Amino acid sequence: MTIASDDPRVAAAAAPPPAPPPGPPVRRRRRLTRNRWGYAYVAPFFVLFACFSLYPFLYTAWISLHEVRLSDIDGAEFVGLGNYTALLQNEFFWNAARNTLTIGVLSTVPQLAMALGLAHLLNYKLRGRTFYRVAMLMPYATSIAAATLVFAQLFGHDYGLINTLLEAVGFDRVDWESGTWTSQFAISVIVTWRWTGYNALIYLAAMQAIPGDLYEAATLDGASRWQQFLHVTIPALKPTILFTIVVSTIGAVQLFGEPLLFSGNGMTSGGVSNQYQTLGLLMYDQGWTNFHLGQAAATAWAMFLIILVVVGGYALLARRRARAER
Amino acid sequence: MATVTFDSATRMYPKADRPAVDNLDLEIGDGEFLVLVGPSGCGKSTSLRMLAGLEEIDAGSIRIGDRDVSDAPPKDRDIAMVFQNYALYPHMTVEQNMGFALKIAGVAKDEIGRRVAEAAKILDLEDYLLRRPKALSGGQRQRVAMGRAIVRNPQVFLMDEPLSNLDAKLRVQTRTQIAALQRRLAVTTVYVTHDQVEAMTMGDRVAVLRDGVLQQCDTPGALYERPANTFVAGFIGSPAMNVVTGPAVDGGVRLAGAVLPVPREKLARAAAGTGRVTVGFRPESLETAPPGEGVPVVVNVVEQLGSDAFLYATLGADDDGDVLHTADVVVRTEPRTAAAVGETVHLRVREDCLHVFDPVTQLRVD
Amino acid sequence: MTTLASAPQETVSVAGPVATPRRRRGRRAGKVTAAGPLTYVLLGLTALVSVFPLYWTAVAASKTNAELAGTPPPFLPDADLFTNIGRAMEEAPIGLAIVNSVVVSSCITVGTVLCSTLAGFAFAKLRFRGNGALLALVVGTMMVPTQLAIIPLFILIAELQWVDHLQAVVLPTLVSAFGVFFMRQFLSQALPDELLEAARVDGASTLRTFWSVVVPVARPAMAVLAMLTFLTAWNDFFWPIIALTTDNPTVQVALAGLGGGYVPDTAVIMAGTLIGTLPVLVVFVVLGKQIVGGIMQGAVKG
Repeated sequence: MTIASDDPRVAAAAAPPPAPPPGPPVRRRRRLTRNRWGYAYVAPFFVLFACFSLYPFLYTAWISLHEVRLSDIDGAEFVGLGNYTALLQNEFFWNAARNTLTIGVLSTVPQLAMALGLAHLLNYKLRGRTFYRVAMLMPYATSIAAATLVFAQLFGHDYGLINTLLEAVGFDRVDWESGTWTSQFAISVIVTWRWTGYNALIYLAAMQAIPGDLYEAATLDGASRWQQFLHVTIPALKPTILFTIVVSTIGAVQLFGEPLLFSGNGMTSGGVSNQYQTLGLLMYDQGWTNFHLGQAAATAWAMFLIILVVVGGYALLARRRARAER
Repeated sequence: MATVTFDSATRMYPKADRPAVDNLDLEIGDGEFLVLVGPSGCGKSTSLRMLAGLEEIDAGSIRIGDRDVSDAPPKDRDIAMVFQNYALYPHMTVEQNMGFALKIAGVAKDEIGRRVAEAAKILDLEDYLLRRPKALSGGQRQRVAMGRAIVRNPQVFLMDEPLSNLDAKLRVQTRTQIAALQRRLAVTTVYVTHDQVEAMTMGDRVAVLRDGVLQQCDTPGALYERPANTFVAGFIGSPAMNVVTGPAVDGGVRLAGAVLPVPREKLARAAAGTGRVTVGFRPESLETAPPGEGVPVVVNVVEQLGSDAFLYATLGADDDGDVLHTADVVVRTEPRTAAAVGETVHLRVREDCLHVFDPVTQLRVD
Repeated sequence: MTTLASAPQETVSVAGPVATPRRRRGRRAGKVTAAGPLTYVLLGLTALVSVFPLYWTAVAASKTNAELAGTPPPFLPDADLFTNIGRAMEEAPIGLAIVNSVVVSSCITVGTVLCSTLAGFAFAKLRFRGNGALLALVVGTMMVPTQLAIIPLFILIAELQWVDHLQAVVLPTLVSAFGVFFMRQFLSQALPDELLEAARVDGASTLRTFWSVVVPVARPAMAVLAMLTFLTAWNDFFWPIIALTTDNPTVQVALAGLGGGYVPDTAVIMAGTLIGTLPVLVVFVVLGKQIVGGIMQGAVKG
């Protein structure tokens, strides 16, 4: 039945199941599954992708290696990594990177923690649950521009509602816009306001997918509600939490509209002393205020690298933890 | 109407180390109901899908009638298929589901209507024509899937475990209905199932597959009476046939110290190489013998089914230290006279009901 | 027989948790426990914080700065709202901006949903050489910041003389890696292979299968993607303010330009913000339930 193979390695591997007997000669046939159609279906997307994403990405890389002015694109001069080294010596870059990090942490960490708590609350049996969900998602439907303009008014020094209320309970008025911490805090509030409800709904969806008998089993094992939350809900939500952290991080690195409009009277490049200039804003400033495209392109690539490093770090961390649990 | 021929048909999945279907040779007669049966992963569904044109044929060929369809797309094979999960288009009504293939083929509207109505009448679906699949019960969906096949009036019906999603009671009912319908329409049918009871009750002939290789193809009666090897012996029949191996001695095979008689000629041929012989006996072909005669077994569990009782017993190890290990044996007995747990029962096999196999090749010895 | 012996034991172990009675629907996934009063208070506060800034827009749009800073601050809008809306429309072409935003967002939505459904179907169900690598490319694109593309895009539209033309916003925004991934995730679960095989056996061509089988199955996900895409396109800010000027703006561009005067009048800015946001909010209130459902559905699939 089994034809012994000359190669002992193959023979050994094939020993338990009999090796395929020599059948009739194998013909190559026209494949019946019409797989070539796959290319036709993805073509529209990839044509657009090539024109408006891939080509620009590469072009940006090229620009970042050149000294280019917006007014004279053809007169580009190759400077190697000059733009990158200049960037690393540029105090504005480090300032913007610091601001981006602070605002990112201030807006992401409380946002996701609150979203988790809200999702837990929304997961109870509620009267009018649709109302709460829709209300919570309203900020997500509000544009960055509108939200920032409204919050700029609320945080305004002389006429802002927040200062009015602070004064009413006996505090001094705060000049939110001109302080470093205060402005970054205020901008983080805008981001948090817009995204908390959205993330809460994502967590809620994941919570509802947890099988109910898991909780019943935990109840029988004598776990309190809080213990159930810690030992049943959170572990089941881990992939979702990681997902939201990654998405929020990518968003935080690119933060642009909120600081651009935060002064409340037109666009700024991040405050008088750049106290809330983010990387996105710096890049815009380099390219469209100073017309220094090479610098702007280098900043854009730096932002991408930061995202890659941070997301890669999360992935490593998640993998290591998963391994440790096993 | 047409015959179907598998001619050394082979399917090798990319990256697999052995073919999913290996040199399948099978002739299915015009109007025949052939069942492909075997455990999961045996290649029965793949064989059906090769015939449907959903799976490539890497070597060999498949013919429907005189036509080689190995390279033809499904629509040019004049077949209709009933899928395991029915694969009804969720957004179409029953009527639209049944008429979809005809509509694509460009059949005139009133002709489609006529044929759908006819099939709906046969299948008792007339009241549901305007419903969507979601609003139907499992049994009704199954009938719509059947209807979709019937409407096309194909040369061959292909059915891939069409009853596996029904509950046990409905399955038995539908099984008879499908068999009756097939006989009435007299369309060549290839039916895949993993359930040997379905295979035995429905098929004109049954083909048993294992690991992509055809083991035996015969009428249900012949499969039961003369299984070609130990695999078919164990697969067909419920509870399964008892298959044990022991040393060949003068006049038979020694089991638990006793000798089970085996015809001399068969014994000689089966034991030729090894001095051992494999025998098979069905639970229903065992009878109790007085002590001192027959093979002793110890009863572990008694299952009372009302009409019958089954004894689950252990065949003791051979007392003179031979390599034979203990083996489990199932015995069907009269419910009233069933032995008690722990009791030792002596068994003998009814005349002509002993199957003999070669212990090495596992093939039947006649 | 054996179950009898263990029965009393079981009752005892159940007795503890039963002391705090809860209603639970057994078959549903997830935990369903009735909410306590504290839950309602917290959720009510959250809803208030979520909605208040939007309401405040209307109040602030009808008051002068001095009125806003009064003690206690005003909490109801008044008739000046309409005057200020009129002034905002004079100062910024908000009517034009709304029309532009509708056009831009609709084009982006239709194009994105179409491209995403086509590509998502191919990635979910068709086997073709390199599909894994291409899908990885799509997913990877989601990590690339917008900033990385805008300089060449700007040069491109400048050369094409598309600045201030709507196609300058529409075309680059059509590329939605998220949309492709979203549709792929949905279709790989919602579209059984059997259904496609049934269509092949029924004789449907690949294109026919797409229109008659895939699209109907994909419709719920397409609706969700359409809502999300429209919302995102309407609110998109970064690329539009580069590609357009206030001469032919979308709503977001017009709003960004509103505060540019020497003495910014908060009420006018707020009035502009209000009417620029109102269309989306109205749609949102009407379709809120569906949008919430869509986001949650997308979250589970993604």
